[in-house]
Amino acid sequence: MARSDQRQTPANEEEEDLVDFLEPDQLAVDRSRPVPRYPLAARTRVLLWVLRVFVLVVGAMVIYTFFSQLS
Amino acid sequence: MSSGPAEAQAAAGGTIALPRPPLTHEDSDRSLDRARVHSARQGGRKWFLLWLLIGPGILAMLGENDGPSMISYAATGARYGLGFFLPFIVVTFVIAMVCQEMCMRVGAVTHRGYGQLVLQRFGPLWGWFAAGDLLFTNLVTLIAEFVAIRIGLAYFHIGAGVAAALGLALVVFTMSGGRYWRFERIVLGLAMFNGLFLVAAIMVKPHLGAVAHSLVTFSPFPGGSLNTLLLLFASTVGATVTPWMIFFQQSASADKGLTPRDLKQGRIDTIAGGTLGAIFGCAALIAGAALVTHGGASIQGLAGAGFPGALSKVDGNAVGTIFALGLIEAGAVAVLTISASTGYAVGECIGKASSFNNAPRNAGWFYATNISVALVAAVIILIPGAPLLSIALNANVLATVLLPVTLVFMIMLANDRELMGRWVNSAMLNRVAMVIVAFVALAGAAYGIDSFLQTVHLIHG
Repeated sequence: MARSDQRQTPANEEEEDLVDFLEPDQLAVDRSRPVPRYPLAARTRVLLWVLRVFVLVVGAMVIYTFFSQLS
Repeated sequence: MSSGPAEAQAAAGGTIALPRPPLTHEDSDRSLDRARVHSARQGGRKWFLLWLLIGPGILAMLGENDGPSMISYAATGARYGLGFFLPFIVVTFVIAMVCQEMCMRVGAVTHRGYGQLVLQRFGPLWGWFAAGDLLFTNLVTLIAEFVAIRIGLAYFHIGAGVAAALGLALVVFTMSGGRYWRFERIVLGLAMFNGLFLVAAIMVKPHLGAVAHSLVTFSPFPGGSLNTLLLLFASTVGATVTPWMIFFQQSASADKGLTPRDLKQGRIDTIAGGTLGAIFGCAALIAGAALVTHGGASIQGLAGAGFPGALSKVDGNAVGTIFALGLIEAGAVAVLTISASTGYAVGECIGKASSFNNAPRNAGWFYATNISVALVAAVIILIPGAPLLSIALNANVLATVLLPVTLVFMIMLANDRELMGRWVNSAMLNRVAMVIVAFVALAGAAYGIDSFLQTVHLIHG
């Protein structure tokens, strides 16, 4: 985390108390901590690729049609 | 000051408090908001609690009642009148509520944005695909938002330069406070003017019996060109459920600081937003339907999107003015929410601070992306002779086409027990969600494939 993003000294005790109203993992430092990787099953990965290719092909068709209609 | 819930929990559990990490500006601002929520909850002030916790849902739903959406609804009304599309708008908002509830829940439970979770949980490839889809559709949609502002201002004889400057000024103004709460409340205030479309609908004096008949029977079913019908069908779906909404509501829920205790209010927020969105969306169609007997000839101004001018010719200047103001509002609110969703996504994917609770000097990427994407879109609408109606409709279609992948990852996150614990989707919700994915994929594909085959002359419309 950038040094400039930190309060170097707590503004006051009240501010310190207020932070207790946050859940522990709501602090910026916790939110930026990576979550562990989820192991995608081979079948899921194939299905995701099929869906990805499908939307890219259909998206290309829409864009091609849009520009064809312009000209 | 009384001790907060975290401290009380630590005391009750007898755990040893670890040294607290250095506080950031973001932490301080969010904790201030959470202290007010805690106080309202402890004091049993239910309405005040709801007031504090609403925001992301209404903003996502009314933000999606944006310029291209309202133009799309009005275009549908002008072409087909009242009928199938009126209740279809309601159906698409129910779909949106299902999807957005999942985003809100994942954001509240994990305290992380969609882009960050997809990237970290499923790998950089899928994370960057998701962010790439979002950047592309957001840029196209933002162009359409500036188009809507331009159309609205053109009614008052104000040029494209002012439309571009107004949109950009709004983006800079709403971001300038370094506070999520301030951003949210300003945009919420602006979003309430989406109700102008309801005023416009009332002013065109629709036949209430015909409106009720359409809503109940989904009829008359529109005839005419299949391709035009598919375009309007896909753009109506894309006018209600889009990738940016998913990024925005999840990130905004986390940025606002929602927790699992707030899920009830988060759901009310989402349902209220969807209900308002459906009412105002239907109103735009009803206002557009006043032009149905005019064959669309009078909407040819500004490359086929001159609805305010056309309405003023048919129903008087007042309704044209209201519709024009509505378009300016719809475009402006969406410029703010869509550029915010882009900022969230880019910040989350490159691992930089992405919160309105950070001052610009501490979250440079977030704020720079917000402004840059709006700036690029603003410059494009200055190109003279751009086909504005076509841009608006195709922006919605593109959003529909790219949405299924975004939705599938959303469903996977909402079912991730390691992240979500007991707040995972129910089996019934998963079934409904998968039907929605199939429906959205079919809607986009039907228009994309049909129009492409016609363009390359393999079939004739």
